[in-house]
Amino acid sequence: MGLEKPGIMGAGSPAFLTTRLDFVVNWARRNSLWPMPFGTACCAIEMMASAASNYDLARFGMERMSFSPRQADVLICAGRVPYKLAPVLRRIWDQMMQPKWCISMGACASSGGVFDVYSMVQGIDTIVPVDVYIPGCPPRPEGLIYGLMMVQEKIRGESLANHAALRAEDPLAAGRPRAGDEEVADLTGPFGNSTDQNRVSGLVETDAIGRAEDRLP
Amino acid sequence: MTRDTSSGSPLSGFDLVAAGPELSREGPQTAAEPREVRPGNPTVTALRQQFPDAVFRNLICAGDEDVVYVAPERITEILGWLHDDADQQYDHLADVTAVDYGGGKPLEVVYQLWSIPHRAALRVKCELPLDALEIETVTGIWVGANWLEREVYDLFGIHFRGHPDLRRILMPQNYAEGHPLRKDFPLRGRFSRAEQTRRALTQNPEDYYVPGEIAERVPQTVEADGGDATGAEGEGDVL
Repeated sequence: MGLEKPGIMGAGSPAFLTTRLDFVVNWARRNSLWPMPFGTACCAIEMMASAASNYDLARFGMERMSFSPRQADVLICAGRVPYKLAPVLRRIWDQMMQPKWCISMGACASSGGVFDVYSMVQGIDTIVPVDVYIPGCPPRPEGLIYGLMMVQEKIRGESLANHAALRAEDPLAAGRPRAGDEEVADLTGPFGNSTDQNRVSGLVETDAIGRAEDRLP
Repeated sequence: MTRDTSSGSPLSGFDLVAAGPELSREGPQTAAEPREVRPGNPTVTALRQQFPDAVFRNLICAGDEDVVYVAPERITEILGWLHDDADQQYDHLADVTAVDYGGGKPLEVVYQLWSIPHRAALRVKCELPLDALEIETVTGIWVGANWLEREVYDLFGIHFRGHPDLRRILMPQNYAEGHPLRKDFPLRGRFSRAEQTRRALTQNPEDYYVPGEIAERVPQTVEADGGDATGAEGEGDVL
């Protein structure tokens, strides 16, 4: 669209018009964020409290929770995500229009939390790209509001000059995990060995497995 | 300031819990007396008379919960009698679940029954050896056993013979790591996290709940006399 080209003031320096346009566009974007609430657990209760009158997310531009992903700007994943729900989360992210941002709210969404078990996604960043992680179990509404304000700060620093590169999405990557195998192994590694369980890689069996009929076709 | 506990003040909730159900039921005055022998549960007595060779043993659990161990190959006969007999009428199947004690011990299938007319509860257990994890379905007696047995199949790998729709219910349909509630199942699963993530995203959420599949599904039928109501051939009310 021509805005990526070197500006009228010389190569490498953004043009006056571009920076002013950046300011206006970012101002509009960051003050009209519509969240897509993906609440699966107790974090969603705090998210609802944030939207209610006492904390009133609407003050920050989150005027309305958008239950349609196609009209949402920021995905708030509040709560634990089991593997059975992972394709749903990925599809909702794929359905959201650019520009879009993602908040991982709470310990379970960010890292799996205490649920370091067979059924739970160990951090939604293995599935979708995450902009802001909010720690807490669950985070208080102040925490969620602070996280949303961090997203607003992030939008403030964006520029139309690198917008295309920043927002590029590979259509073939839709429905696929965001992270590669090595990154997933890094992200999901257990913190310590409190459960004394041996990790199994691939289809290799360990001593813990006694019965052959456990393996389904 | 210490609280005076000797002057006949009512017992706290902690005292009641610590003393067990006898104290909480009878009150504090009988607590010091020797515990009376509880009269036998009439259902257990009748069950032993009706099926002398199929009822292995019975015990009282947690003070007032009657548990009966029965032969797994006659489970439908026994549970059908408990459901139909006029003196029993266990018409509500509260839960079907299973227990794996590990160490090569047999898996226990647990049927938690409740009789609405008699207001009585009974727990029926079957022991299944690990090399023969099969038992007859009770969906012909209680239609509500359908999903409960699917859950037991999903998480323990026990096959229910004659079940109309024995699929996984909690884990994904393409789950290939086994049955997670078995004691020999590793806590984090068998595959690597990368493989689990990849497999999770290959499932199609619409495969589980497509309206067409629900429309094609044979409707469940319930007959007034509580007889066999498994198939579509019944003329009962369509749920």
